[in-house]
Amino acid sequence: MAPPQKSDQQVAAEFTSYYLQRATKEFAEDLDKVRSADDFKNDALQIIVSALQQGTTMFSPEEQRRIVTAAARPANKA
Amino acid sequence: MGHRVPRGLDGGATSQKRQKVVHEAPTSEEVHASRQLQQLLSFSQDPARARHGLQSFKLFLDQLLNQDSKDADRPRILRDYLQSTKPADNDENPVYLPDIMQTWSYGTQINNENIMSAVPVVLALLLKLLSQSLESVPFGLGICRTLLQKRQQELIARNLSADKGKSFIISPTLRMLTEAVIFDGGAIAKPLFRARASMLKSLARNMGLVHRGDEAEDTKRPSARTNAVLFFLSALKFLHPEAKKELLSQRDIVAALTRDVKQDPPYLVKELLEGLRAHVLLDDKLPREAKACLLNASTLTRLSALYQYRLDTPADDEPSIADIAHEFLMAACTSPGCGLLRQDSGFYPRELDPNVPVPTAVVDEWGLEVIVWMNKFRTETPVRNHALSNFLPNLRPWSSLKQSELMISIFKAAPELVAHYFLNNKSFTFEPKLSATWTGYAAFLFHTVTLPIPDHFCRGPNFPALPPPTSIVVDNILPPPLNPKALSRSLASKSNMISFFATRILVVALEKLDAALKMHRDPSHAHKTAWAEAARRLVDEFRQRCPGLTEMINAYRSVPEGDILHREAASRLLRLCYEVLPQHALMAKFDVSPFLETSLSRLSRQELEDPKDSALSVKELENLLSIAGYSPGMRWFAAPEGVSLSPFTRLLKVCVDAPHGVALGTIREVLNFVAVEEGLVPRVDAHPGLLALLEALQVLRQSYPDSITHVWPFLDNCLARYANSPVKYVEKFYAMKDEAAEPAVQGLTSADVSLATIAMLEQLPFAAAKEGNQHTLKALGRFLPSFLGYLAAAGESKSLLDLVFSKMVPYLPDSKKKVKAGGVPEGLEFQHNPWPSAKAIEAGKASSTEAPQEEGKSSPAIDAKALENMLHAPDGLEADNSALVRWSSKTVDELVDDGYLKSLIALLASEHASIRKEALVNIRKAAAKIKESEYEEKEQIWLLLMELAETAADNINDRPLPSPTSAFACHAIDVLRDPLSCLYPKVNMFLVRGPSWSPDKIHLVDDILEGDPMVPNTYYTQTNWLLGYLIDGLRTKHDLELFHKKRTMGPLLEHILVSATNPYMRWPLKLQVLRLLYRATCIEGGSTTLTTRFGIMSWLEATQAGCTDASEAAVYETLRKRIWETSDQDRVRAWSREGLNGPSW
Repeated sequence: MAPPQKSDQQVAAEFTSYYLQRATKEFAEDLDKVRSADDFKNDALQIIVSALQQGTTMFSPEEQRRIVTAAARPANKA
Repeated sequence: MGHRVPRGLDGGATSQKRQKVVHEAPTSEEVHASRQLQQLLSFSQDPARARHGLQSFKLFLDQLLNQDSKDADRPRILRDYLQSTKPADNDENPVYLPDIMQTWSYGTQINNENIMSAVPVVLALLLKLLSQSLESVPFGLGICRTLLQKRQQELIARNLSADKGKSFIISPTLRMLTEAVIFDGGAIAKPLFRARASMLKSLARNMGLVHRGDEAEDTKRPSARTNAVLFFLSALKFLHPEAKKELLSQRDIVAALTRDVKQDPPYLVKELLEGLRAHVLLDDKLPREAKACLLNASTLTRLSALYQYRLDTPADDEPSIADIAHEFLMAACTSPGCGLLRQDSGFYPRELDPNVPVPTAVVDEWGLEVIVWMNKFRTETPVRNHALSNFLPNLRPWSSLKQSELMISIFKAAPELVAHYFLNNKSFTFEPKLSATWTGYAAFLFHTVTLPIPDHFCRGPNFPALPPPTSIVVDNILPPPLNPKALSRSLASKSNMISFFATRILVVALEKLDAALKMHRDPSHAHKTAWAEAARRLVDEFRQRCPGLTEMINAYRSVPEGDILHREAASRLLRLCYEVLPQHALMAKFDVSPFLETSLSRLSRQELEDPKDSALSVKELENLLSIAGYSPGMRWFAAPEGVSLSPFTRLLKVCVDAPHGVALGTIREVLNFVAVEEGLVPRVDAHPGLLALLEALQVLRQSYPDSITHVWPFLDNCLARYANSPVKYVEKFYAMKDEAAEPAVQGLTSADVSLATIAMLEQLPFAAAKEGNQHTLKALGRFLPSFLGYLAAAGESKSLLDLVFSKMVPYLPDSKKKVKAGGVPEGLEFQHNPWPSAKAIEAGKASSTEAPQEEGKSSPAIDAKALENMLHAPDGLEADNSALVRWSSKTVDELVDDGYLKSLIALLASEHASIRKEALVNIRKAAAKIKESEYEEKEQIWLLLMELAETAADNINDRPLPSPTSAFACHAIDVLRDPLSCLYPKVNMFLVRGPSWSPDKIHLVDDILEGDPMVPNTYYTQTNWLLGYLIDGLRTKHDLELFHKKRTMGPLLEHILVSATNPYMRWPLKLQVLRLLYRATCIEGGSTTLTTRFGIMSWLEATQAGCTDASEAAVYETLRKRIWETSDQDRVRAWSREGLNGPSW
């Protein structure tokens, strides 16, 4: 039986999590430097996380679904 | 200097040093009876006794208010006491509690501060107690009214204006007033406010009496400020709108209300914000001006300081003060009903009338220059939202998420503020630095850029007559901090994250620019010329602020291989450049092939473990594919050096070998598009295009995974051979058609079988003859029948496919004659590709057989305006006399690359002899300057200019140089400055033919249309260049004569029309031909010449009949109509012997 389709919210949440994970991986070195900068205080961590994840808006809901659901199939195949 | 005089002989007794006030604690006794209470509170001139009585009463009231003490007698004692002191009913000015009031008055008279404090204390407690029971309300009201009497008012005013240090008098008085104003649902709020001279005495000052000390304010001993604020909020709650308005207009009070809010205890801040929200912001009856009195920039700024409020420790499920303040500010600043936000007109600044009547003719002639305000707002822009504009600079959006959210919401609610804010706050720059602040600022700017453009630019229901000032639009798309220097430095930054952030901002900026340009091109505009010019200016200004494409390409190049998120963003940026700014993108000469190659290799190797990564990588590939689609020089079927397969075949391979779960719809679409454009598959709606080939390959991969690897080289070879000389295969196809004696075409109109099969048939014998190729032949034995079967299922001619198959069979390994016996399989279903069934094909067949007649009738009609938008090309040789002087100050690079030379050449076609002569002299000077320079292509450019000058010199005094010659020279410059241009050899050969050109000839036409292309696969690119220059060269009647002058190859226009009948010519190129015709119709007598000399009506009719696309047919139809309307109809009627007679358009 086909797995139930994910809701738009689920897709958006999963995509955001993937995007953040990808971004933190690609910019790990730079993020470390930001963390050691003088102005890293108070809301800084929140700001950086929010800054990184705002890029998700560049992907349409369909594109997000395409990328998120790409993960589901190998499990079925296996 | 005199000696200091001693203060007094007796020293301490006359010392002016303030003596410490010692508050002696009053004595008290417990109250057991009402009579005792009466005696205790009866007036006495002995202050100690009076205090004794008041203190006893206070303790008595405290016990009553204390929920825990349950003494049934006490309420009765109080009731009896109140009853005994109640004034007579007929008293005109009844004074309740006369003894207490008298004591208060006496205390004030003798300046006894203890009594002045003790009386309001007991009155506040008493009112509080009385408000708890309905039957005691009349007593309470009586006391409140007593307080409003003149004598008591004076006492209250005196108490309220006590010295700053006398909080013990001020605070209880304020508490008493608070109890009075809220008593019985605010029954006396109105008269109390009427007596504001006394009741609100020193309120502003008292709001400033904050708690001093290191520890936080004790909630049981609130400061005078706390009491004052609570009194103010209680008054706000119960006052009617008029009174509230009056209260809020007391500037000193409103200012004092929030001045010290940052130090207030959390509960007070909470009450203050909630009170103001409920009784000011959300009060619909309160007039807008009243709300605006409270919500001024300084109040907002002070409240915004609460974002840093640190005195509260909220529980997990409670909002913090910062949250509450944020919610308040969001409501105050973004809700139109809250009084602060004023309706602006989007991108049109205040006091500007975009509907001012300007005659269309004036706008058409002078352009936007006639609109005085168009360039006025580059450094300053007036706004309606003054308060908000003054408030915004106090926010720090880069260091606080909430402040960023507030600011973006304000920008969204009042778009006029975006340009204003950035124009007036230049101190903060976008200079890249790897810090939290820069990251926050980049995020804030990203949000700003993603804000939507207001409806119709003005938030109105329609577009205004004139476009908004371009600078304002650009400020909203790329705010001024995003200047080219900062952006370029960010893109080139060694830090990948900085480059990534800059890339993303540019991506959203280009998307916004695209949206703005679409709005500029809306068909409903009144002054179309003005909007079109504004769109051009918008693009120019955007380009000035945006880094060049080369920098974006370099940024993409420097992204590490594994950073797929970054690569996707960078490739998306390049794709958008091609989509939104195509002219400029194409000038950058970006060769996408190597990147496509890398991306393909990565996907083919399937090295990305996470399927999500693969899917993201496919997005990058899609972007590159789109760029490849836009690049005219993309060689789809040529394998790059060191690689065995062409990009097209490799993409096919990616689709067939697709990693699990990766959607490849876009890649399929691009492949199909290329296949259709190249003529590999029939251009018919009912045909599934390349899907048949894909399906056959996928089936083979599934059934015989080993075989597929042997098919690729063969397939690639066939496709490459077809792409190199398609005509050869068309001829072979017709020969085969004759052989099969195929009857009239059914269903498919332009081809009966995909031409790819003909190429395969041709190449199969060579594959068979090759030694050691058994595996390939075996694989082909499996693949080819299935492929032909799918083509048959797609609706291609079965008999032709059978014939192809029968010619293939001898070369296929078929020892048991199974392959031959099987023939072309029938009834195959498409399983892997979402193309459908035979039913749809049948439906397709049915519709296409009936199509030609039906389509003509139902084709979407387009009107004259739409035709003009589609076919009108701006005059490329428009005279700009200032070009005569402008060029001299420019460098050679600018002269050649930025169009200064072209402007100079265009002047040779000027109507005025003096201008022409001047232009000629300047061209010679410019040529000399170029020759002496270090410019790489200086020799050729010099030669071109000198030959042009030589050509023009003879006749320039008598008549303008023919436009085709000027246009040729202008377009040739573009070729000469790019040695990679496919026309480079031809133009150079032309230049060395002789020292001058024949001015009445149109050059290079036959070389391009008939000659050897010299660079393979560039026939259409060259034709496109030719048509571009011909369109620019057709401007006058004399030019048109050159187009129909007799030549050995036939009149030029005839030659062009013949070339355009080529069925493989793509629509964009056909549109260029139509643009040339449209240009001819704009010349006086042009349409008549087209009709009578070239039979253009029949040509258009015939071409229209051959159209499979209804929208294309509509263009031909409307052009015919225009030619008829602009021609000399009587002459055309006579010429055609009434054959053309105002058809039924």
